[in-house]
Amino acid sequence: MSVTYNSVAIDIKDLMKHFKEVKAVDGISLKIKRGELFSILGPNGAGKTTLVRMLTTILSPTSGDANINGYSILTGKKEIVKKIGVCPQKITIYDVLRAEENVQFVAGMHEIPHKEAKERAKRLLEDFGIAGRKDWSKRFSGGMQRRLNLAMSLVFDPEILFLDEPTAGLDPQARRLVWDYIRDLKNKDITIILMTHDMVEADSLSDRVAIIDKGKIIAVGTPTELKDKYGSDNMVEVSFFNKEDLEVVKNNIQNISFVTNWNENTKNERKQLLISFQGGLKNFVKLLQQGLIENIDEVENMKFRQNSLEDVFLNLTGRRLRD
Amino acid sequence: MTFLDNNAIQIAIKNVKEKIRHWQYLVFSLGFPIMYTLIFYFFLGREAFSYGFPGMIIYTTAVATTSSAISFSGDKTSGMLERLDTMPTGRKNLFLGALLSETAIVSLQIIIMFIIGYMVLQVSYIGIFELLIGFFVAVLFGISSVGIGIIISGIAKTPDIANAIALFYYIPILFLSGSLMPFESPIVYFTPPFWAKQIYLQITILGHGLFDNLYSSSLLPPEGTAYMTPMPLWGGLLIIIAFAIVFIVIGIITFQKKTKF
Repeated sequence: MSVTYNSVAIDIKDLMKHFKEVKAVDGISLKIKRGELFSILGPNGAGKTTLVRMLTTILSPTSGDANINGYSILTGKKEIVKKIGVCPQKITIYDVLRAEENVQFVAGMHEIPHKEAKERAKRLLEDFGIAGRKDWSKRFSGGMQRRLNLAMSLVFDPEILFLDEPTAGLDPQARRLVWDYIRDLKNKDITIILMTHDMVEADSLSDRVAIIDKGKIIAVGTPTELKDKYGSDNMVEVSFFNKEDLEVVKNNIQNISFVTNWNENTKNERKQLLISFQGGLKNFVKLLQQGLIENIDEVENMKFRQNSLEDVFLNLTGRRLRD
Repeated sequence: MTFLDNNAIQIAIKNVKEKIRHWQYLVFSLGFPIMYTLIFYFFLGREAFSYGFPGMIIYTTAVATTSSAISFSGDKTSGMLERLDTMPTGRKNLFLGALLSETAIVSLQIIIMFIIGYMVLQVSYIGIFELLIGFFVAVLFGISSVGIGIIISGIAKTPDIANAIALFYYIPILFLSGSLMPFESPIVYFTPPFWAKQIYLQITILGHGLFDNLYSSSLLPPEGTAYMTPMPLWGGLLIIIAFAIVFIVIGIITFQKKTKF
């Protein structure tokens, strides 16, 4: 059977997990397409980890089922674990083994011949910038250990990859390196389930995002869809050299349909205008053309604050993600 | 797939690497028995020490309880067990790998103790065949110790607690078995180290055969205060094998039950 992008890699059907009275996962149904990068966003205790632990066959559901590559998590554990890679949030490496030994060990568990495992480990560690280290992994920096943690989940070319906060604690450069690698994986038709608190990460990498709260999925869609539907307005803060220009802009934007609100700030000799508007970057360009550039010589400063997934979560739940 | 597949061997190799690279572990598992052996040697004197040496061998292999308890509870608390559960490894290979690695380490420890006993402390061995049986008995006892270690790791929340429980178990049990000091009591018959020590003592030091009766718990020569028990030596061997099987099975059941998420 040929595999197409649109075939379903993960099919979750009314999955529930209750710990006594606590409904950690409360009837989740979801379809994740093959080759899709799907992010699960939610605060601590929302049920993300419980959901993924069930999908990776570590935890048995209270009720419901999920098919991973066509195999039920209730009966197909043996087949499922051959196809999935799991990069846990907690760094789980053997600290007195070297980096390549750790990666080769995981390869060995997937029955990859020693010689090939060695080559794959070398290549992966080069990709993650930790090749050539001959000391034990416990002597690595936190960022290097996290990259090794990720490399261990990739050595056997999994078809489905579960990434739990893969860039937590990484410096910006290392984070960028991991993001680039994840983007490369997307191109290799690997289905990626990403759990993250990082809005920028979810926004920039994901094909689709599910927002989970109190064990239920409260919204699913592409980042743009979610921001358009549940997000706040975008905002532009413009500072002017003179009051006349501010007045001209005020006058201009009154006739623009997607501008929802504006506030003037002229305290302490400031000449600022805060403009809220709906829509994405396309409307921002229109706003520049119709409202700001028209009849204006010069602006002192301009800041654009784009509607984010954080706003989506805030508007849906009344709380911030990290509350 | 054979009973012992490649994954179990790879896990065993990884375990041995881990243990060898932890110098504290080496000091604890081998340094301590050697230290106690020397202490006993100097306190008991050469003649009596021949009867104390089997107890030292048993003490050396009993350390496998701590080793396996720490190893399994470490994997449990570090999240590695959960990670391994998402790989096509299977718990069977995890247990087999641990048994293989612990057996390898225990064997090495026994060989080192044999060498120290023979070359440094002039302990007399009856013959090479008897020595091999003694080695086999010590390894079997080591395997039963691994079983106890797995039971402990299932219960213990952290490796530190596993270590404490293991010590809390095997130090008293060694004394109660009469392995370290003479202890004339029927209690000894209920302790695995007694049987291991006794068989070892009879075969390798006293020169008795498989059909000779077992003696009491005493570390003193049988002509002294010891009395005969109505069981030939192979009966004791069966008891040791039974202990090893029962502890391994209980260990695996407990660990599986306690780590079922």
